[in-house]
Amino acid sequence: MLSIALSELIQIFRNRLVLVTSLFMPVAVSAFFVYRHEIFTELASLGYIAAVVMFTVCAFGLYTTTVTTLASRRQNLFLKRLRSTPADDAGILSGLMLPVTVIALAQVTAILIVLATVAGQPDNVLLLVVAVLSTVIMMLGLGLATAGLTNSPEHAQVTTLPVSIGTIAISSWVGISGTEKLTLLKRLLPGGSATELVLNAWNGGVPVAESLLLLLPTLCWVVVAIALASRLFRWEPRR
Amino acid sequence: MTSTPVIDVDHLNLSYGDFHAVKDLSFQVASGELYALLGTNGAGKTSTLETIEGHRTATSGTVRVFGQSPRDRRAVRPRMGIMLQESGFSPDLTVRESVRLIGKLSGRRDRAERVLSIVDLTHKATTKVSQLSGGEKRRLDFATAVYGNPELIFLDEPTTGLDIQSRDALWDAVDKLREDGSTIVLTTHYLEEAQQRADRIGLMHQGTFHQEGTVAELTRTLPAVIRFSLPAPAPALPLQATREAGGTFLIETHSLQKDLHTLLGWADANAMELRQLEAGPTRLDDVFRSIGSA
Repeated sequence: MLSIALSELIQIFRNRLVLVTSLFMPVAVSAFFVYRHEIFTELASLGYIAAVVMFTVCAFGLYTTTVTTLASRRQNLFLKRLRSTPADDAGILSGLMLPVTVIALAQVTAILIVLATVAGQPDNVLLLVVAVLSTVIMMLGLGLATAGLTNSPEHAQVTTLPVSIGTIAISSWVGISGTEKLTLLKRLLPGGSATELVLNAWNGGVPVAESLLLLLPTLCWVVVAIALASRLFRWEPRR
Repeated sequence: MTSTPVIDVDHLNLSYGDFHAVKDLSFQVASGELYALLGTNGAGKTSTLETIEGHRTATSGTVRVFGQSPRDRRAVRPRMGIMLQESGFSPDLTVRESVRLIGKLSGRRDRAERVLSIVDLTHKATTKVSQLSGGEKRRLDFATAVYGNPELIFLDEPTTGLDIQSRDALWDAVDKLREDGSTIVLTTHYLEEAQQRADRIGLMHQGTFHQEGTVAELTRTLPAVIRFSLPAPAPALPLQATREAGGTFLIETHSLQKDLHTLLGWADANAMELRQLEAGPTRLDDVFRSIGSA
């Protein structure tokens, strides 16, 4: 798995398009939110900035790159090549997704540390970590499922839009309007409960046990995504 | 076949939806053998090969490699090298990085430099795969397949796109591997390669074996050919011949040596010059053509 991950890391840094979409763009957008944090705090809260930053990185840096990478590796038969070795499927997928996951986690961590430094500390760091990790797992699962529907890297530019734009929009909607109204709908939408979890972790004021219940919808999305991926994911291009 | 076969295919069937790609196929490959799987386009060669490699699951029947299921990658793959029909390398990795990655995953021990030198790609070690020609990619594919001298090597159309020097180098490497005891399974469209090198040939047509055996066994049923032209006028020929376009004569025979002797004796006795004389045993090409006309 580590050999695959290392080769994947080399490929990420050699591919300018992936480098821009997975590294620079999410950081640039996040930097804007942090730089103008006073405006966004007035509009919603610091927790909102943390949530939208997290989803920007996870949607563009993690999810889109995962889908594009898997579609590309399938199209040029690299997946088939890897499956010609003793490596098992789980090891291959883990190796392919590990670098982009580590990069995304590092980005979110760095950006949230900067936000905490310039704007104020989160109320519950541990809860924030749980929120970030659950979101990363959900986006990876959705990435695997979407990759099953994506024939090529070019096709990924279309197939990734609903989830990437959708989760950022849901995060903004929940972050700005809260969950007092349309509570169930907001929590059941992908990213809704994760956003609320980040809001609670950063802004505080909600018991931890109550916040942890918000993990359930996110974990349900993980299960749904994995179930979809196991049905849709293909290792070779369609003939 | 007395010893345990390296590959044992028993009543293999493989379907894609309603399409029956492989039908009730059974054969074995012995240790150290070079077995060629040949066939017309769409005959089911690649489907069969990929099932033996473990890339596909049989619809019914069994496939055993080294006595185990080829789907058990951890058990079987370290002992086999696979040269795919299409390269499947990442364009952003260099030649050396590609060999090292696949080599490391193979679980076998070797040096990237050694296998690159076999296929004369040492000077391209730091070149990205995207900058290689088609032939160079095939050579890279071969280099990864033979990394660590595996016991069983699958070569799926290995010489397609290679120049004659590269082809010779590749076959030299295959000969060396065979000397070391490797078993080879080959598919190719270059029939002369199979004719020259294969111990046995499985000739597929429409999903099953049309014939299987040694080259001699496959060609035995078809006549050998004598072809020549004559200056007109000429006395009656001593053998039944047909006149081809361009005025050449064709004699089909199951007794090549005897009939050739008769013909040469006739030409000598009549002071006739047999121009453009060709005589040879049946080639695999002729066996292939016989499938089409069957």
